[in-house]
Amino acid sequence: MNQREAELISRCQKGDQDALKEIFDQYHQKVYRIAYGVVRQREDALDIVQEVFIKLYRSIQNFKGRSKFYTYLYRMTMNTAIDHARKMRRAPPSNIHEEEGFQLSEDVEKSPDRILLHKELEERVRVALGKLPVDQRTALILREVEGLSYQEMAEVMGCNIGTVMSRLHYGRKRIQEMLKGYLKERREE
Amino acid sequence: MKDSCSVVSKLLEKYFDQEVTEQERSFVEIHLQGCTACQDSLKSMEKLRVLVKAPLDEAVQEETFPWVWEKVERGIRQQERPTFWETLRSWVDITPLFRRSVWIPAVAAAVILILVTIPLFFKKTPSYSEPSVIEYVESQTYNVMVYDLEKAKVTLIWLFEEPEEEAATI
Repeated sequence: MNQREAELISRCQKGDQDALKEIFDQYHQKVYRIAYGVVRQREDALDIVQEVFIKLYRSIQNFKGRSKFYTYLYRMTMNTAIDHARKMRRAPPSNIHEEEGFQLSEDVEKSPDRILLHKELEERVRVALGKLPVDQRTALILREVEGLSYQEMAEVMGCNIGTVMSRLHYGRKRIQEMLKGYLKERREE
Repeated sequence: MKDSCSVVSKLLEKYFDQEVTEQERSFVEIHLQGCTACQDSLKSMEKLRVLVKAPLDEAVQEETFPWVWEKVERGIRQQERPTFWETLRSWVDITPLFRRSVWIPAVAAAVILILVTIPLFFKKTPSYSEPSVIEYVESQTYNVMVYDLEKAKVTLIWLFEEPEEEAATI
């Protein structure tokens, strides 16, 4: 934790909302990305961002600086998002049926350089992520999207490193299986 | 797949996540130079990372957040002014009388007390309005009063030895 961040946290602990605003500016995109990865719904993810920063303001007194601030914030985000996902218990938001497989549409195949931006593929990845158990999905997002180390993931997820590695391994394995058509195709190019 | 692939595959994920020691890194990199299967596994993990990250990055880019901050501010203000029910609930939470550990035994004791006392109120008490006969016999030596309760079959007799004193007390 750098000095600037320590100062912001200290001000926030004294009830300074301007300090909270600075923390919000620094972290809201990361919080949104994690929340969106877990709940996979824009509106729900935005609600979670709002809820997390309100909770942070209320509970920042409990942050004693023993861990990194962002692991504290990510943990709060994770717990809020997982609670939200469990409450809603929504099916993956997609009209793509499982039996359709992963055959990409013709125009996507013709433009592989832009393939990652294609909405259809994004939707398939989103669906595949949504089919993972929430713990494995969480592990994948923290590692692949936020780039956290195993130790940091363990702090955020409240488990040991062995469990983190196991969740990450099985999450990768399952999602690779679900997207194997695309991954295999790309390997053969 | 070579024999050493099974050994490397256990390290490959850690290598990809940059969680290996220097010694393990060297071991994996030497193996990767001559093993296309493990190279493919590594590439597959790299592509998966891009696939997972890209939609989330794009979702962030599409979003505008100033109004979210406004909602955070509103949320904080609302929580600073608790509603009537929140105030009541918080009062109930902090008041010892309303704690479950207090009010449940209290209510139970009150119910037991009511159940015990109610029958006492409805218990038939003996009535003294039953017909009775009172006779008062005066004489020069003793005055006698006879009280005869017919239903209970009881007869009480008072004998007054000193009529003057008795009359004085009345």
